[in-house]
Amino acid sequence: MQYVIIGSSAAGISAVEAIRTKDKDSKIIVISDEKNPLYSRCLISYLLAGTIDEKKIWYRKDSFFKNNKVEPLLGVKAIGIDIKKKEVAVSNFAGEGLKPSPANKENVKFDRLLIATGASPKLENIPGVDKKGVFPLRTIEHMTEIQAMLDKVKSVAVLGGGLIGLRAAYALKNRGKDVSVFVKSGSILSQIVDKDAAILMQKRIEEKGIKIFTGVAAKEITGDKSVKGVALDNGSKHACELVIIGKGVSPNIEIARDSGIKTNRGILTSDFLKTNIEDIFSAGDVAETNDIALGESSINAIWPAACEQGRIAGLNMAGEKETYEGSLAMNSIEFFGLPVISVGITRPKSAVYEEIVKKDAARNIYKKVVLKDGIIAGAIFVNSIENIGVIGALIKNKVDITGVKDIILEDYFDYGKIIPLIKKSKKGFREQEFKETILTL
Amino acid sequence: MKKIYCNIKKCLGCGSCEIACAVEHSKAKELNSTISENPLPIKRRRAEFVEENVAISTGCQHCDNAACVTACMSGAMYKEAKTGLTQHDRDKCVGCWMCIMTCPFGAITREKQEKQVVKCDLCPDRDKPACVEACPTKALYLGTLKEFKEILK
Repeated sequence: MQYVIIGSSAAGISAVEAIRTKDKDSKIIVISDEKNPLYSRCLISYLLAGTIDEKKIWYRKDSFFKNNKVEPLLGVKAIGIDIKKKEVAVSNFAGEGLKPSPANKENVKFDRLLIATGASPKLENIPGVDKKGVFPLRTIEHMTEIQAMLDKVKSVAVLGGGLIGLRAAYALKNRGKDVSVFVKSGSILSQIVDKDAAILMQKRIEEKGIKIFTGVAAKEITGDKSVKGVALDNGSKHACELVIIGKGVSPNIEIARDSGIKTNRGILTSDFLKTNIEDIFSAGDVAETNDIALGESSINAIWPAACEQGRIAGLNMAGEKETYEGSLAMNSIEFFGLPVISVGITRPKSAVYEEIVKKDAARNIYKKVVLKDGIIAGAIFVNSIENIGVIGALIKNKVDITGVKDIILEDYFDYGKIIPLIKKSKKGFREQEFKETILTL
Repeated sequence: MKKIYCNIKKCLGCGSCEIACAVEHSKAKELNSTISENPLPIKRRRAEFVEENVAISTGCQHCDNAACVTACMSGAMYKEAKTGLTQHDRDKCVGCWMCIMTCPFGAITREKQEKQVVKCDLCPDRDKPACVEACPTKALYLGTLKEFKEILK
């Protein structure tokens, strides 16, 4: 048996670990276009902010590949998959600045393949994005390059008010820069939280000196070779030496799509995280899976989902029959001491959803759950996050919460309160640990 | 694997476990001095009411497939191979709260100033966890599931 894994971030690494719980000896080859891939992508902005030591981003030991008997092929790119011959074509970069090309490739055989190619930052389609001083923030390389020029930077423009844009803004503010964020839509984090939560967060961020402009987009990045500013669609200009683009990511599906594997926005997967091709699996930011809250195939490009999918795919590659329960959008964000966690559907667009809201302005607390037919589809907790995981369990297990609806947003709504629901539930809460807690009831 | 089980039939929800836990995880490790510590120590166990007169003392369940470990983006939460326990490495934790986001038991608490989380560690410095010792009705039990089922008979 020879396993090949394309991608060496959350999903790829989890898959290696899962395979090794079942198969100690077969060969595992990991292909990554990054030379040092064992870092946590989510921690890049923390490092840029200077709030953590560099050593904290290496979330697995240097010896990880060796300890797991992995043959790493690093700094090279997988450029094609032959699904009939069961081979991955890998191209060497063969020197800096050279693009990977089919002229310089070797074929790597596989018995089982995992495509965990992740996603790439979307770049703005405006003039000037190729100037020096324009960066996305996705890889450690981006972070190092930004870091290297920071001494010469006074002012930063962040394009996009999503999670990465704001994390970058927070990081650079922390490094003493003058930061302005330009958000095309009417509110920040519009993919993650609702308007009320966004207002609370924006207020906190602005209080700490980051400027946020909503309803404004950049139409050009100005300067000669290097960035000197951005021209905005409201006619005004903003001088800056650094531009961070936080416009979300798009899944790296090309290699799969071009080799006959079924794709939509991402690579389509079964409940076992298998693609339409036998022995080829997919996981992480590139994979489309069943979204528990939406009830349809979707991509949840988040760390926990990538790890869980990598784990399940790895087990199945090693011959298990493990079902993936589906993914759920979830994000944990904290800016300047205001923590926010959101799960599932937070901005319902149809009238079939019901919202229950609790606001406590004095304590800066805002909580909301979104219901459909008595079952929770999503939630946002601002500044009171400790029990959000209990809500998550109710979402995943699709429990009718009508009986506890009146107290669900109270501070005292905790695990104890859902025990009667667990006891009653016939299909949900299958994990042993839930059963153990109700053993004596 | 040995962990803490609660017999709901015996639990009064009195909170003795919470106090014992906080004291054990304080600097002074003694109630009188502990209450003047700043910040106050954080309890890793909670006496939670299920309904009127029915309570459960809960904390980290040391799940077999632990959601907090899967979600942890810094490698701070991990399964200890030898014991099967879910452990937390403070040197690696960055305070991102992903574990809190995914723990279905609400068993993980923020240490706000330190930007760390805390959870049940089964009191590594003691033979028997402080909560188990403090429980006045012996509702809390340290042992394997098999042993717990045995004493319920």
